[in-house]
Amino acid sequence: MPPKGQSPAFIDRARVDAILAPLIPDDGDRAFVVRCVLDEGPAHHRGANYVLLALLGELVDTLGPIAPSTERESVAPVAMRVPPHLARGAPKHYPLGLPKAPLIALASGDAGVAAEMAAALTDGPPQHALANAAMVALLNRALEAARNQKGGG
Amino acid sequence: MSATLPRTLEQAYAAVVGELGMASAGWLFVSEVAAHAGDEGVEAFADELGATYPVLDAVARQWLDGRRAPQINAKGALDALDGATHVVIVGLESLHLDGFVAAAPAELGISLLAHRPFPVDWERVVANHAGRVDLLYLDSFQSMSGPKSALLGFAYGVHGDRTHVPPLWARVVGADVRAQFRSLVGWDALGSEMNVYPRWLTEVGVDEFTHFVGATR
Repeated sequence: MPPKGQSPAFIDRARVDAILAPLIPDDGDRAFVVRCVLDEGPAHHRGANYVLLALLGELVDTLGPIAPSTERESVAPVAMRVPPHLARGAPKHYPLGLPKAPLIALASGDAGVAAEMAAALTDGPPQHALANAAMVALLNRALEAARNQKGGG
Repeated sequence: MSATLPRTLEQAYAAVVGELGMASAGWLFVSEVAAHAGDEGVEAFADELGATYPVLDAVARQWLDGRRAPQINAKGALDALDGATHVVIVGLESLHLDGFVAAAPAELGISLLAHRPFPVDWERVVANHAGRVDLLYLDSFQSMSGPKSALLGFAYGVHGDRTHVPPLWARVVGADVRAQFRSLVGWDALGSEMNVYPRWLTEVGVDEFTHFVGATR
């Protein structure tokens, strides 16, 4: 285990950056999210985030390209939380949202339950919330690709 | 202190370092001392005050090595903001801030964190920038956090993979704040290592910043 505060050596930031590029096109926005997921918080969480995102990226790559989906663009924002007395102006959000479609499907169409799921996925510290959002987005893509293959086969 | 230098020089330096910054005040005083007492005066000035003010000491050593003005890489600092639309500046170096504000695009919001270990008239400091810079405070600067906001702090010299920053930077950039700002930019306001123990400053890793701007381009 690396020292507290130091990221595990096996983390390949460029790999995660490439995996997230289709989800966060802006280089600076993406660098911010990659840092939050791989360089902030406890070291073991950074390592776990890397492993899970890398494997999900491999899954998406294996399943191949998928048809564009308008549903994928409907996302729940991942809030950047500051103390309430400092939350001036419009709410702050990270530049990566949580796809709603797979949650609504999982909740059998119940938007209220899907919102509870979204809250559970994004309520933690930024490294958890953003990693969860990225993983759901990748799972959503993988599910769509798998469904397309099944439908086409 | 050398007989050629006023005995109140230390008192004068201590009085202005808060509002000018350690390096900026250092360049002002070193150039004035040199004008009145030459390199011998600069050396005496550094010998007398250097242990107390290590940044001043480093500026004096740069002068004695032949440098005659600070290196102000304002373009590098602006480039490092990497798409941010607002920057919160931590620490104060007036010469660098002047250059930064002059070079900044009009649409960039600029805030200055009003916290120093020295007495400072903050309204007077921001009045120099004709409304381009506003003040934030330690208990409220997170109100300017966001995915398009950056923190920019002054650093003093680089040795290996380490640098020195005012303790305020360490107070500001906690684990919570790191994930609330798009970029954490360090800007070397000194451009050389310090020769004496850098008291009053805190050592941090250069890799703790997302971007580190050298003194030169």
